[in-house]
Amino acid sequence: MDIQLKRGLLDVCVLSAIKGEASYGYKIIKDLGHCIELSESTLYTILKRLELAGLLTVEAVEHGGRLRKYYRITAEGTARIAEFKREWREVMSIYQFIMKGDEAL
Amino acid sequence: MNKQEFITSLRRRLVGLSEVELDARADFYSEMIDDRVEEGATEEEAVAAIGPLDDVVREILSQIPLSHLVKEKVKPKRRLSGVEILLLVLGAPLWISLLAAGFAVAVAIVASIFSVIVSLWAAGASLVACGVGGLLAGLLMVVLGNGYAGVGLVGAALVCAGGAIYVLYLGKAVTKGAAWVIKKGILAIKCCFLKGGRDHA
Repeated sequence: MDIQLKRGLLDVCVLSAIKGEASYGYKIIKDLGHCIELSESTLYTILKRLELAGLLTVEAVEHGGRLRKYYRITAEGTARIAEFKREWREVMSIYQFIMKGDEAL
Repeated sequence: MNKQEFITSLRRRLVGLSEVELDARADFYSEMIDDRVEEGATEEEAVAAIGPLDDVVREILSQIPLSHLVKEKVKPKRRLSGVEILLLVLGAPLWISLLAAGFAVAVAIVASIFSVIVSLWAAGASLVACGVGGLLAGLLMVVLGNGYAGVGLVGAALVCAGGAIYVLYLGKAVTKGAAWVIKKGILAIKCCFLKGGRDHA
């Protein structure tokens, strides 16, 4: 898969994992586990990138005597998911066009 | 390996990154291990679930841009003294020349690899064009009554087409190999910027 496309998909996957409520690293990996296998170092890089882009915020919360980082989606992050959905509709219509061409052969 | 050993080894292998980045990465992995332990795993199981340290370091290295590592390396860790600045200025003709030579060698290697790839694909494309063109011209000559020359041309066109298949396969293999070599080369250069990553990546 094209690296840029994969990067974009992973970003939106992680944003979607935190869109309902703030979540933490291990839970994000578990939640995404059924659709995509994500290593810790990949997740770290994605979270950093999204944080720098202002698509999520990070907050350290005390949990069981230690600090756990919670990631919360921002309005820009939510807008990014909506933008992805719009773009994906276009991609799907192109895909259907290609598939229709294959079936006709 | 328990959590403390894993985090200590990870930090040792990533020496070369800034302290802030080292702390952030160590905290991230530490939290991951703690969350797995909280879920019922032992520390050893939680560490094992993250994967072998070599793989973790290699993955981290592949995700950090080379420019970032270079910046971290050349950034002075403390204020340079007057003598050091003087030595830097006096040694400039030497270190700038060495740096430029190293850069030129790297560019030459990459350019050579790319020229081989481009040549192979160009040769393949030429052979395909010769095959198609020769076949059409040969058939035309046969139709126009110049049978022997036409058949000869068709034969030559088929040889070109056969050669094209081999050359294009070779081009594909060399392209893949070059991508692998460049990727490994960049990883090796990145390892040079990390004191601990050199032996294992």
